[in-house]
Amino acid sequence: MSDVILSVNNLITEFNTDEGRVRAVDDVSFEVKQGETLGIVGESGCGKSVTALSIMRLLPQPVGEIAGGQILLEGQNLVELDISQMQKIRGARIGMVFQEPMTALNPVHTIGRQLLEVILLHRKISKEQAIRQAIEMLDKVGIPSPDIRMSEYPHQLSGGMRQRVVIAMALVCQPRLLIADEPTTALDVTIQAQILELIKELQKDLGMSVILITHDLGVIAETSDSVVVMYAGKIAERGSVYDLFDQPTHPYTRGLLESIPRLETEPKSRLTIIPGMVPGLLDMPKGCRFENRCRYRQDGCLSAPPGIETIAPGHDVACYRWQEVRSEVVAGGDSPNFKLSAVA
Amino acid sequence: MSVIPLQVKSVDPILSVRDLKMHFPVKEGIFMRTGRFNKAVDGVNFDIMPGETLGLVGESGCGKSTLGRCISRLYQPTAGEIRFEGRDIATLKRKELMPFRRDIQMIFQDPMESLNARHTVGQILEEPFQIHRIGDRAYRQQRVKELLDVVGLPARSVTRYPFEFSGGQRQRIGIARAIALNPKLIICDEPVSALDVSIQSQILNLLIDLQTEYKLSYLFIAHDLAVVKHISDRIAIMYLGRIVETGAGESIYRTARHPYTQSLISAIPVPDPHHHSHRQILVGDVPSPINPPSGCSFHTRCPKVMEVCRQTSPVLSQDQQPVACHLYE
Repeated sequence: MSDVILSVNNLITEFNTDEGRVRAVDDVSFEVKQGETLGIVGESGCGKSVTALSIMRLLPQPVGEIAGGQILLEGQNLVELDISQMQKIRGARIGMVFQEPMTALNPVHTIGRQLLEVILLHRKISKEQAIRQAIEMLDKVGIPSPDIRMSEYPHQLSGGMRQRVVIAMALVCQPRLLIADEPTTALDVTIQAQILELIKELQKDLGMSVILITHDLGVIAETSDSVVVMYAGKIAERGSVYDLFDQPTHPYTRGLLESIPRLETEPKSRLTIIPGMVPGLLDMPKGCRFENRCRYRQDGCLSAPPGIETIAPGHDVACYRWQEVRSEVVAGGDSPNFKLSAVA
Repeated sequence: MSVIPLQVKSVDPILSVRDLKMHFPVKEGIFMRTGRFNKAVDGVNFDIMPGETLGLVGESGCGKSTLGRCISRLYQPTAGEIRFEGRDIATLKRKELMPFRRDIQMIFQDPMESLNARHTVGQILEEPFQIHRIGDRAYRQQRVKELLDVVGLPARSVTRYPFEFSGGQRQRIGIARAIALNPKLIICDEPVSALDVSIQSQILNLLIDLQTEYKLSYLFIAHDLAVVKHISDRIAIMYLGRIVETGAGESIYRTARHPYTQSLISAIPVPDPHHHSHRQILVGDVPSPINPPSGCSFHTRCPKVMEVCRQTSPVLSQDQQPVACHLYE
């Protein structure tokens, strides 16, 4: 098990709100192996970003709190660390990239100054060496004339260039793990393609692991080795990218895959939908959280949430009726726009 | 292959846009003088047939939203014609526009920003009738109820405020408002971009159903080509204020001609891990429309750039799948 970089075990994250205490992440477990990309996919409010913030220990204070579970970074439990210990880890061993690069950068400081801050915080090297490293990193993320860019401010760069700077900041100390929360959502597709390619290349170069959080199943399919599907704070399904796309076994995973318009679907055909919407955190169903939208619902789904079951090596599902769902998958699905590759 | 035949010429287009330009003055320097212009829309031509959906695709800053706002006359275009059912509305004054406002409606990306937060859903949906002085109170309330039913919202929504609804439901309110006066053309500006995947498909289905039922024409503006292709009959690709290619959705996707369209399609992440795309990654960013490149505005990023592209701006060809590119001249 030495190749596991991060292991999240039974993580529970809660928030105190005016209306009461809500559980945004409920019993979430997954592992990230050396050099792999783990995709976390789900819709707004499913807890994917809160999971990332929990790992970074950056939950909004004082309302957010890790109420249970472990987060083991190379064996060290991050949940037990104090602020100063955590500061040594953020930026050095875990890098992070957020959705909106403008909010991640300080508008009144130059790019150079912000990069140097990261380096000098974590490395005992001279300023000259740090400047050299910073320029090298900007060059590596594909910023033209990096020495000139060092003295520029974030507003002077385009969205794509800013995201490159944020990635440079996240990776300048060569972390073991990069957490990228919707890193390309605010960018245009042609720029998104550039950034995803860049992350892939740097990952290979630096041998790091990546947690990529996104709502875009296309991005997941193209970048991830393994995938966690989250719904309403819980893991619905977990497996390799091939498990998830070839044999989606949770009704929610199937629903997601069926409902996206694809370039090859018949124009103006009706899309399969998932009826209704995600329940609010304050009025979660007692049983399975997907129960009110699920076409496989039975009385048994209403009493208690299903536990997560291993249905094949490395492929886990939290659904009482996964066997029936799965047999339908093998049958080829019931939707015309849902093409499954042959299942053995 | 469902190529739209050219013989639909027998029917007149509901909307014809000719050489439309929208140049915003850029105020610079301490005296805020106008020296340069942001040529957000710079000579655009297209037609929309009755009952047809034209999808308008492009990246941020390409001018697609500005174009939509010109057509709904939220902006006064700098030059060009906007012929709606044969009449040019590009230069009409506020009062003269009133009858057209009933026929041309708009759906926006973020319904939270386009719905008055202090009004109940009932008030929001009644307003169009009040503005155009249609019916009495009882009639209007009856219509509001019908509208809610059509877009799939419960009747009790009438007394609720926008914040009490989820994003998808708010978009339904926005759609109900847009169809309230039985318009002929709806400009949908990124109507599903802010929505979650599972909600997006609900709204797309609703838009398709409404089109069939009320024979609506749509100008569907979005950056997501897969979504646009799904809902559109024809697609126009925009880059830096100009249309670079148009054609039936299927042919744009299968036989894209313009290098920009080709890279746009290849950049879309495919939700299939077995798919290995031969991606043409475009270098660089979209140039500024204030100071667009000489010649073809795409030449700075084009993988097939030639000498002529730097000097002369290509014109949209006059064939089945019009393209503005020197490669096809």
